[in-house]
Parts: sequence; C-alpha cells; structure tokens
Amino acid sequence: MALPNQQTVDYPSFKLVIVGDGGTGKTTFVKRHLTGEFEKKYEPTIGVEVHPLDFFTNCGKIRFYCWDTAGQEKFGGLRDGYYIHGQCAIIMFDVTARLTYKNVPTWHRDLCRVCENIPIVLCGNKVDVKNRQVKAKQVTFHRKKNLQYYEISAKSNYNFEKPYLYLARKLAGDANLHFVESPALAPPEVQIDLAAQQMHEQELLQAAAQPLPDDDDEAFE
Amino acid sequence: MDPDNVARAFVDHYYSTFDANRAGLANLYQESSMLNFEGQKYQGTQSICGKLTSLPFQQCNHQINTVDCQPSGPAGGMVVFVSGNLALPGEQHPLKFSQMFHLIPTPQGSFYVQNDIFRLNYA
Repeated sequence: MALPNQQTVDYPSFKLVIVGDGGTGKTTFVKRHLTGEFEKKYEPTIGVEVHPLDFFTNCGKIRFYCWDTAGQEKFGGLRDGYYIHGQCAIIMFDVTARLTYKNVPTWHRDLCRVCENIPIVLCGNKVDVKNRQVKAKQVTFHRKKNLQYYEISAKSNYNFEKPYLYLARKLAGDANLHFVESPALAPPEVQIDLAAQQMHEQELLQAAAQPLPDDDDEAFE
Repeated sequence: MDPDNVARAFVDHYYSTFDANRAGLANLYQESSMLNFEGQKYQGTQSICGKLTSLPFQQCNHQINTVDCQPSGPAGGMVVFVSGNLALPGEQHPLKFSQMFHLIPTPQGSFYVQNDIFRLNYA
C-alpha cells in the first residue's frame, strides 16, 4: 500500500511491514535497495517511511511498499495503523544481541493480531559480525510458527534478495517464481566471511532435522 | 512564583536531565509516583527509573513546542502538559510526543512528580 502522496504502479504491489527491536538493522536493510531509497516518502502523521522496492521476476515486475518506522518501537509496541492492510512481513533480530531474538515472539504476536495469515520471513541480521550471541542452531522460533528464516547481513548485502523472493513466491502462489535481474544495491560496507557463514548455514540445516526443543517461547536464555 | 514560570522551569529541568543523564530523574519521583509510558504502567521510583534508563538509546534531544499549566487541588499542586519533538540518535525524523505531569509540593519547598503520562503522537 502506497502513501497518499506516493506514485502507484500498474503491476502487482504489496504492503510489507518490517518489525523488530530498535537497532536490529531494519532501516539499513531497506536502504540497500537504491531506487527504493530514492523514491521513499515520509508520512509524519503515521511516523513511517515507505520505500517502494521493485524486483524483476520471470512473471514481470513486483513492488513491495516497505513500511519502516521512525524509531517508535524503541518506546513500546507499534500502533495498529502501522500493521493494518499489511500483506507480508519481515521480523528482524540481531544475531549479536540476544534480547532482540527473545523479543521475536512478541513482535510475531503483535503482527498476527492485526495481519492474520500473511507470509512472514524471520531475518537474523548482522551475521558478518564475529561475536554472535545467537547461533544459527539456536534459532527455532520460525519452525514453531511456520515462518521462513534467513541469515542476512544488510551491510554486506548477503542474502539481501532471499526474503523478498520468498515473499514474492508466496504472494504470487508460484514456488518457481524467480528474479531475472538484480535491483541496484548500495555497495557492500563490510565483507562477510563466506566460509564461516557456510558453516552456519550447514548448522541450520542440521538443526532443522532435529526435534523442536520442548520449551515455550520465553525459554531462550 | 507564577505557576507558568514554575512549570517552565520544571520542564526545562526535566528534559535537560532526561537528555543528558536519565538516571538523575530518580530525584523527581517518589514511591507513590505513577508513570504511564506508551500505555505501559509503572509505579515507584525504582520501577519508573528502571523503565526510563532501560530505553534502548543513549543521548536524545527533546525540543519543547508548548507548555500548559494549571494549579491543581488545595495543596498547591500543578498539572503540566507538554508537547514537542524528540530526536533519537540514528533516526532521520523526529518523533512527536505529548507528556502530562502532576506535580505535588514537597515540605522542602520543591515539587515531585505524582503522575506522569507519556505518549508518542502518531496514527
């Protein structure tokens, strides 16, 4: 959903809400997409910045209107007006800050209270940082709630397209949809250790084969 | 002293302390004090200051736009209502906020905050 002062388009477009604790990198993540960054609009009454992110698929263009807060989440939960008419979502946490993962269930609950049954991606950001506090195998919340999980590093563009591709496939109802062209991205600010990250991805695969830990959502210490 | 002047002096003191040294706000509350912060409720100095000092940002900057004040009750209390903008580090756009204080005089001739209600203003 575009803002009233924002250009609309004649190809499929969807409102994407990004939630998660302050400082997890939500704004950094959406700002990587350069044309979205140029065309973003701020709506002061809602306190939201909307970035129109275009992607090129084998079925044509798709646009995500990415809703990003002005930092209100640092004070408490967000108002319903932020979630309302959301068609897909990204929940972001910071793998170097354990508390941001502990708060994921709260963000998921708030989101689902307003937006029932929308596709959701959980993103663990900052995987370029050496000192991780949340290891890949400790991330289990997505399995309990049937979300997709990706490890990302906004500053290095690592896995930047993955969440959008997953959401595009769900929204199009086409598991074979793929991107045919990359959007222009801001150049990487950091390099990611790909060998180390491959180990983390391997860990994730192995963890996915294990039974879920027998605990509730609060038990992650 | 003119209540408007007292209110203005309190507001200046409150937000300069908030912006520079949030833990210093503890002196302004007592055990009976109550805070509603974006809908969450806190009571007592420790609980209130625990919330304020645990906000996930360091320095911030309150810019006050309006201060309104009324005398309240027979004991010399005051109600103060503030609106303004709040700039956070790393955020491009300031947040709009409103805050209400109910001030009660202390025997020492100062005031403490009995009631404090804070809201961000957005849809």
